[in-house]
Amino acid sequence: MSNEELESQLSAMFDDELPATECELLARRLARDEQLRARWGHYAAIGACIRGESGIRLETALAGRVSAALKQEAAADEVPAGGRSKHGFFNPWVTSLGGLAAAAAVAAVAILWMRTEAPPGLARTAPLPPVAAPLQVTPASAPQLAAVPQPAPVQPGAHLRQSREPDSYVTPAAVSQGSALVAPTELANYIVAHSSYSGPLMRRNALSALVGGDSAVPQVTAQPIAVTVVTGK
Amino acid sequence: MTRLRAVREPVLWLVMALASVAAVAADTPQAWLDRMNEALNTRNYDGVFSHWQGGRLETLRIVHRVIEGAVTERLESLDGSGRQFVRDGAELTCYLPDQRTVLVEKAPPSLMPAGLPKFDGTMTDFYQLESLGTMLQMGQKAQVITVTPRDGYRYGYRLWIQRSTGMPLKTELLDTTGNAIEQVVFSSLSMRHHIADAEFKPQLVTTGFQWLRDDGGPAMTTETGGSWNKTPLPPGFQLAAQTTQMLPGVAEPVTHLVFSDGLATVSVFIQTEVFRNSPNQVRPGVEQVGTTSAFTSVQSGHKYVALGEVPPATVRLIIEGLMRESAGQALGLARGPK
Repeated sequence: MSNEELESQLSAMFDDELPATECELLARRLARDEQLRARWGHYAAIGACIRGESGIRLETALAGRVSAALKQEAAADEVPAGGRSKHGFFNPWVTSLGGLAAAAAVAAVAILWMRTEAPPGLARTAPLPPVAAPLQVTPASAPQLAAVPQPAPVQPGAHLRQSREPDSYVTPAAVSQGSALVAPTELANYIVAHSSYSGPLMRRNALSALVGGDSAVPQVTAQPIAVTVVTGK
Repeated sequence: MTRLRAVREPVLWLVMALASVAAVAADTPQAWLDRMNEALNTRNYDGVFSHWQGGRLETLRIVHRVIEGAVTERLESLDGSGRQFVRDGAELTCYLPDQRTVLVEKAPPSLMPAGLPKFDGTMTDFYQLESLGTMLQMGQKAQVITVTPRDGYRYGYRLWIQRSTGMPLKTELLDTTGNAIEQVVFSSLSMRHHIADAEFKPQLVTTGFQWLRDDGGPAMTTETGGSWNKTPLPPGFQLAAQTTQMLPGVAEPVTHLVFSDGLATVSVFIQTEVFRNSPNQVRPGVEQVGTTSAFTSVQSGHKYVALGEVPPATVRLIIEGLMRESAGQALGLARGPK
């Protein structure tokens, strides 16, 4: 199966549009393929962040199906070539999903959220509840996810690390409804990198905009405009 | 006595005349901007100010200390969220009590170029500096200086600079039509000789918070020169820095170009890796995030993103110039040497 087909299947699985039999097969593949697991985890985290869902958990119907398939596989002792035990197989998957990938995405989006303010006139969603809710991924998010550029998988051991391994993650509470041209996580990274080149006055003002925000999340307005793309031919 | 007086009086007049010229020079808009730069970069201060942008007003407190060039700073929201940022050298810690989260970022030291950008004499070709005289601000005498762009490719500033300290008591960011799009106004400000470490500790309990730390990625290599120097740019903008760095979530290094007119800066990020599998998911376009404009485009499998506190037309023009330059190089390579 080519990478494109795998991507397509993964996307369909995430959209809850993959037939149950194929879902099971892909789940087995997920068990063997660490990179694929990382990508799935990244999809989940990014999707949750983009939707700005708070209080969502992994125990959705889709996640349940995947988990069931994975557990079934583990119970059948079909230990993949990597030689993972049945405990050692499921835990890294969960860790990948809920750990590094989610942390990277959430951290980046949170930074963007702190560092930006909603343009005037844009509606804000309700603030997050005061207590962090566990991360949850719902199939309903899939159509929005499809419009987002797919970032590279976050590999374990990437340069983002956690001081403490949290058992829950917080995602921003609002959604960028426009056709975001750059994924919020990417834009956050760019803004962070750019801010290093601001002067003291500009940096202070920019930080003020972020610190002073309420519980709303960044609303990115997208205004596609015509541009001549030079192909170099 | 007569001879002495004959010599002394002209010297006295000369000294007075020179002092007068020096006083005028010290009162120029440029001199006031220099004083402000120095105060911001070298003084310890503690103040409360309001920040207005996008129709929202927030009150914040800032505690700022400089010891031998090392900056420690705490910025705290006094309204609503209670968020706090603590910057200690290259490390920025963001306390988000409303999210029960703490983020720690550490920028590579090489990402901190000194004095870029700043208000200095090199920008007068593209900005007009003007003094509007002395006004009272926060009950203090303040020199009002305007920095007005000479074209539509950059934003302007209006600054109320405290005459006794050089600190900006009030600042406004102005759009291309001169309207304020962001405003910072101090309601109290004290310049302090000594600020204890304890004042930079967050005034909140973080028990049960989740901590996320980003160490800024692998070491960055800095390049100099290169073909980007030939890129057609908006008037006054020049390549100020060129680096290759890792960004979270991107497996390959990203080229980071910084263009500046001496005051405004625009960053351009060029990356390839993201689009190998999904070349059609990104469309050209401009985004506005607060006072930051961003423009994205794709060419030959490369994604170009420009962003900065400039009008949207500026980031768009820079990207289009880069793409033309890049396409020209590709064409030259394809044809080969004649």
